[in-house]
Amino acid sequence: MGKTALESVLSRLAADASRKPPPPVQSAGRVGSRLGKVSELTIIVPFAPGGAERLRAFLRLFGGNLAGADDVGTVHDMRFVFLDNDTRMLFATAYDGDWDAYIDDFATKIPDFLDIIDSAWEGWPGIRSPEAKDYLAKYQITAEGWYVANDLTVAETRRLRRIGAALDEFLDKIED
Amino acid sequence: MTLADRVGGRPPRGRVTIELDDIQATVLRYRPEPYYGTHMMLHVEDARAGRAFLRDLTPLVASAADWWQAREPWIAVALTYAGLAALGVPEDSLQSFPEAFRVGMAARAEELRDHGANDPRHWEPAFGSGAVHIGVSVFSDSQQTWRDTMDAARRHYEGRPGLTVLTAQDFGAQPGSLNPLGYQDSIGQPAIEGSGVEPLPGQGPAIKAGEFILGYPGEAGVPLPTPAPDVLGRNGTYVGLRKYQARVGAFNRFLHANARTEDERELRAAKLVGRWRSGAPLTLAPNRDDPALGADPLRNNDFTYAADPDGKKVPFGSHMRRMNPRDTRLTILTDVNIHRIMRRSTTFGVPYDPNALSPQDDETPHGLYFIFLSAKAMATLEFLQQVWINNGNFMNLGDERDPNVGLQEDGATFTIPRAPVRRRIHGIETFNVLRGGEYFFLPSLSALRWLGQER
Repeated sequence: MGKTALESVLSRLAADASRKPPPPVQSAGRVGSRLGKVSELTIIVPFAPGGAERLRAFLRLFGGNLAGADDVGTVHDMRFVFLDNDTRMLFATAYDGDWDAYIDDFATKIPDFLDIIDSAWEGWPGIRSPEAKDYLAKYQITAEGWYVANDLTVAETRRLRRIGAALDEFLDKIED
Repeated sequence: MTLADRVGGRPPRGRVTIELDDIQATVLRYRPEPYYGTHMMLHVEDARAGRAFLRDLTPLVASAADWWQAREPWIAVALTYAGLAALGVPEDSLQSFPEAFRVGMAARAEELRDHGANDPRHWEPAFGSGAVHIGVSVFSDSQQTWRDTMDAARRHYEGRPGLTVLTAQDFGAQPGSLNPLGYQDSIGQPAIEGSGVEPLPGQGPAIKAGEFILGYPGEAGVPLPTPAPDVLGRNGTYVGLRKYQARVGAFNRFLHANARTEDERELRAAKLVGRWRSGAPLTLAPNRDDPALGADPLRNNDFTYAADPDGKKVPFGSHMRRMNPRDTRLTILTDVNIHRIMRRSTTFGVPYDPNALSPQDDETPHGLYFIFLSAKAMATLEFLQQVWINNGNFMNLGDERDPNVGLQEDGATFTIPRAPVRRRIHGIETFNVLRGGEYFFLPSLSALRWLGQER
């Protein structure tokens, strides 16, 4: 089935080949992929005993939406997916910039918040530990493919939204 | 001029909780004003010769004891990874150093965004090739004592088989101690907790010693990763050195473009950096220069950005505000205290000339040895280069870059917040081009003795 699908797509790909190719995915730093300004981080990690229940209860406190991430300023989205009968977890996020840049900042500014989430994971050493980065890198898997619709950071998106709203207000005022 | 001199005799004393007697003087002593000195880069062909040289030089290396009032010139000694290996440091000790230090600054060009004009391919031959092993610097406040100290150091390396001098760069004194683009520089420095001196006005709260000196707790409450063995790592730190060529012609042409009078040019120059060229900060002197303020260390750094939330005094993208945002509201959750550096930069070459306008003036040897110290210098430099220098997202400035050390692309702009409408300046170029760089490890005095031991 895949062969037939590929054959029908090939002619279109050949036509596209004459146009400028899209930019390739790059490295986000130590681990992960980046396209333009936006990087991906995908971790699959075993739960610690009782970790799944604790984390589920914590997420439920916020209706599943950790909107506190608004304050971090680089996080586009976060996904918490419990796998294999609550024995493992997939954590995935799209964020601005490179892998290394802000981890130390999170460790001094929001250490307890991070440890609440991450202590659900087997063997998590604590965000303040020098081993924390190695732990994340160990369980993180770099994506083979990564697509981002708009090469805009969280800050740029918020700014453009404000500008757009102000412009509409202005045009409303002058349209008469 | 010592710190004590700068503050009129009596700096605010505090507790000493770090081992000043074992830490090299250069880690804590402020740059003298006026300053004279030399940076030497040495290559070790023979490990025994290298170790003997360290054995002989170490007694001349001053400690940081009484650093706030010590007046004599001092010698600083530091080693690259290649240098540690050339001295015969054991393999398991070498492997305990961070990767970025081991591979060297040139190999981290990707992470440092050192592309295009700053690419290591274009660096001066001594830098980035693994040839630099030992850096020896002399700092002094007078020509005479500088020469005397250089003579004392020279006796130990000159004519010693197995050791060669790759480069020797004299510096000082620049007229008025100005930097290559005509500014007073090195005004803001972090205050270190337990150093024996309380923070000066405007330095903000003292930062945990471990951010700057290995072996002590950092801001997260634990010591930063330290090389092994303990005698080698403890009381040491890392040094980043970046040699910049100042494109004086391009900078002066930029000031002249769209600024008709000298006053307008000086205001333009002030908006790029956040300080007038006299050193007076725009926060305290927003409309007119105040040279007396610029020259007064008790006043020229005594400000926060609380009264400038919109950047109308100090533009968000100015060099000073980028390198130390203080209480600026950033778009990204940041701990500004873990990205600070101690600076010991030195200007070299012909003095700044405001009338130098030609492309030839861009290439006359003249610029800055940007020298900074931190217990995690490599990680900090990569952070600064990626986030605070070659990007503007953290200040909601999109792709704008630092006007002083940013690597500008075609079509680069610089935004000056203003009422009623911001001023966005086009045609900003790279004013300081990178011509070389190295990472060094700056050992404690005990570590220098350990390194110099016969094996």
